[in-house]
Amino acid sequence: MNRTVVVGSGVSGAHAALTLLERGHDVDLWDVGREEKAFPEPGATFHELKDRLADPVAYFLGADLGALVPPTSPELLRYPPARDFLASREDRLWSFTSDGFFPQASLAKGGLANGWGANALSFDDNDLAEWPVSFSEMETAYKTVYERIPVAGPEDDDLAPHLQGVYPSQPPVRLSASDDGLLKTYERRKRTLEKLGVKIGRARLAVVTDPSRADSCDYSGRCLWGCPRASIYNPRLSTLRQCEAHPGFRYLQGRHVLALRSKDNRVDGIRYLDSATREIHEEPCGAVFLAAGALQTGAIFLRTLQASRVDAGPRSEGLMDKTVVRIPFVALRSIGRSPEARSFQFNRLIAAVIGEFAPWPSYLHAELLHLTNLIYHPLIERMPLDSRGSTKLFFAIRPAIGAATLFFPDRITSGNHQVLAGHEGTAEKVGLRYRDSEDKEHFIRQSVARMRSALHRLGCVTRGVVRSEPGAGIHYAGTVPMGSGPMRCDARGRSNLFSNLYIADGAAFPSLPSKPITMSLAAHATRVARLAAL
Amino acid sequence: MTEPLFPLWEIDSEEYGAVCAYLGLTPQPRLYDYLSRYLAGAPFHFPRPSDFSRYLAEPRLTRFRIGRLDPMTKLFLPGHPLRHALNGVIALHECDSRGYRELALTPGRQAGVAVLGELFRFGINLAISLPWLGWQWASFAVGVPFRARGDLVGKRALITGVSRGLGRDIMLRCLEDGAEVIGIVRNQASREKLLGELPANARVMLLVADLSTPGALGAALTEAQFAPDSVDIAILSAAIKHDGKSVLSAGELRETFQVNFFAAAELAGWLCGSGDDGHDAALAPNAPEMGVASVAIGSPDNATGGGGLSSTTRVVLVSSMGRWHGMHFSGGYNASKAALSIWGESLDMELRQRGNRRFTVTVVEPGVFPSGMTRQTRLTRLLFASRSKVAARILAGALAGRRAIRPPRWFALLTWGICLIGRDYRYRLLARAKPRADR
Repeated sequence: MNRTVVVGSGVSGAHAALTLLERGHDVDLWDVGREEKAFPEPGATFHELKDRLADPVAYFLGADLGALVPPTSPELLRYPPARDFLASREDRLWSFTSDGFFPQASLAKGGLANGWGANALSFDDNDLAEWPVSFSEMETAYKTVYERIPVAGPEDDDLAPHLQGVYPSQPPVRLSASDDGLLKTYERRKRTLEKLGVKIGRARLAVVTDPSRADSCDYSGRCLWGCPRASIYNPRLSTLRQCEAHPGFRYLQGRHVLALRSKDNRVDGIRYLDSATREIHEEPCGAVFLAAGALQTGAIFLRTLQASRVDAGPRSEGLMDKTVVRIPFVALRSIGRSPEARSFQFNRLIAAVIGEFAPWPSYLHAELLHLTNLIYHPLIERMPLDSRGSTKLFFAIRPAIGAATLFFPDRITSGNHQVLAGHEGTAEKVGLRYRDSEDKEHFIRQSVARMRSALHRLGCVTRGVVRSEPGAGIHYAGTVPMGSGPMRCDARGRSNLFSNLYIADGAAFPSLPSKPITMSLAAHATRVARLAAL
Repeated sequence: MTEPLFPLWEIDSEEYGAVCAYLGLTPQPRLYDYLSRYLAGAPFHFPRPSDFSRYLAEPRLTRFRIGRLDPMTKLFLPGHPLRHALNGVIALHECDSRGYRELALTPGRQAGVAVLGELFRFGINLAISLPWLGWQWASFAVGVPFRARGDLVGKRALITGVSRGLGRDIMLRCLEDGAEVIGIVRNQASREKLLGELPANARVMLLVADLSTPGALGAALTEAQFAPDSVDIAILSAAIKHDGKSVLSAGELRETFQVNFFAAAELAGWLCGSGDDGHDAALAPNAPEMGVASVAIGSPDNATGGGGLSSTTRVVLVSSMGRWHGMHFSGGYNASKAALSIWGESLDMELRQRGNRRFTVTVVEPGVFPSGMTRQTRLTRLLFASRSKVAARILAGALAGRRAIRPPRWFALLTWGICLIGRDYRYRLLARAKPRADR
């Protein structure tokens, strides 16, 4: 009998594979699986690296200074050039074409989770309103996932009633003095903020903080640059290693899956590009769990239909991503505080804008970040004085500078989809058509106004609103969503067309709630693998 | 000290020192290397600054200018090259432990006072800098009618002799102004060297052609499959000079005429012989075998170009003021330049007589300026415009369709004066000139 195949080694693929292995099945995990470079100088803090590295400029800005943000650019940050898990658009395996949508994709072992922001929340019934699955049906999978992934967070706070299915097992991440100040101000002004529907609490983060563990966070401030202690959950260093402990597991590296072969409404082969030899091969397979990320899974599904079911059409049912809006602020009370010597680079506070914004979920997720260790020049250039004045002003008020980042949910709309875009190089490219819908704009304006009011009441001065370009949300979903019709899958993730094909990643999400997606990706993959009729 | 490739964008090490002093940083050669490379690529990454920005960016950076330009460019001229330099210096120094410590000197509990102090300083600076900017703008506005219009964005320039001297400066200026350059160099070694010096993303294609071989240039262009009408401006600046040789040295004389004159005539033939008018071909019956050192800017079919060049090809022949008189140690050179000037004038006349308006011919007769062919002394540096300024003047003149350009003007007048004083006095005067070692 042909072996069960999981495609992709990110959060979804790793948890689908581990669940199948725990069920006693043999699993082949197919992956391009490029390995990221080791992170240098473990133990050194972000700023200590400037002393210890031979060429810190190349590390922080890139040898070609590609991360030097020009003064005319609206960007506040470019992704660290020292990280190489993101695929470049020039990569010959890059599958997408797009106009006005700027996707990120990874061909590395562990996928995009190599660089995720570690915020760990679950979807509740309100978030799942448009899903054919309720929270109670997901709950067991969530519990399993929270056992596999240690999450740091408080036992209880104002947000807890809205965060069903979140099970922290680690003490919360230490707050900075500025975070602490903001939280204390919130406690004092809670009633005023309640009227705006804004609540604040400590972040729930997939980070090991228990000091008795060897991999606990040492606050080196290098989260974005790659945690050398692996304190932040990374499927490559955690779940995949658990998979490798099972004798029935095989990790097949260097395989870029292009399409599936089918017969009598069953998948029976996989066409893939060998990334070493650049040759295209085909191999027989048993059941297939697509977990290559919503964009890549959608692409594989469309190419499969092209060969076997032309009648189903060259378009996906949907394509979703979050709209990301940042509100930079200065917390006046924190001016004059000393910067932290050791810090956590990601947000340690989260906020919610809660209200009835039908048809959107009632919980709008926001992350409150006080500036710690970053490459600062784009922020200095954004200050209102000349370069000399801006530099001095920036460092005088640095601990008080922060940003509230709001993540707006998405729904399937007719204009947003993937479409086959013609042959180029090794495989059919897939076009990504995406526009923010008009009806979302009112929701965005209203929520941003509320968050700004809340920040003002917390003693912060806000400065402008920065909206990221489409595609920057990175929470792609809905390319083979749950529902009825040949282009969708059922509530258990099984394709409505192919009886042994399972959509185990965000491609199956029929709507995209505002909350962080990663724990739900893992839970969905776990549930699909658990319920699959193999 | 390496000379910057693109002076408008780049800053030399002294200017870098001034920027560092202004920001309270210690200059670091390693970081300056990074900065130089970054700014050398700026013309190919960032939009061309406005004319006023360029005007402000031309003079050397001093502490005073940086102090005025920093707030003014931040408020009014965000694309100014100094913004890129300041941002680059901050970005590079924050990656360095010492630089970061210098930048991040935090005032701690005195932060509020520091913020107020900085706002006060900024206010005072504005009070000084705004009138200064007003004065600069007035100076700029007065000069506007005398400035060349049009630019080279999207144009294609063909330039000979780009490996050094004036040809190289003309190429750099074209690149800085947004042109795509086809450069002609003598050999592969020169090509490699030049490619190593230019930023990787420079819009330049270098072809190898030894102009002392008849037909070499035409063959190189044909092989590279360039159509004559794809060239918007052709600048023939390649030249050789055998200093100290007898005017009777036949071999050197032939080579000098081949490179300085025939190659230019060949290239002009290649360009003009491809016109829509059938009779133009008669100008260059042997066009495929020809080769000339020249600069050409503009292409008739180039839809992206601006500045009114869309249907005109500018042919620029770089001659010399030396064409007006003989010279005992470089007679061949002066004679070849005289031939080029006269021939260029004849070409212009012939084209006009035939009613061909697709081409303009500009003969450039530069006086002495710092180049590989002249001795460099303190006095010459003081008296003569830099090559990059001469290059800019040549391009501006060619774009304006001028027939003759003679920078610097005072030198042209001096030369003519010497020519008018009679042979005896002229000989006596010119006999004082000394040759440079043979090239």
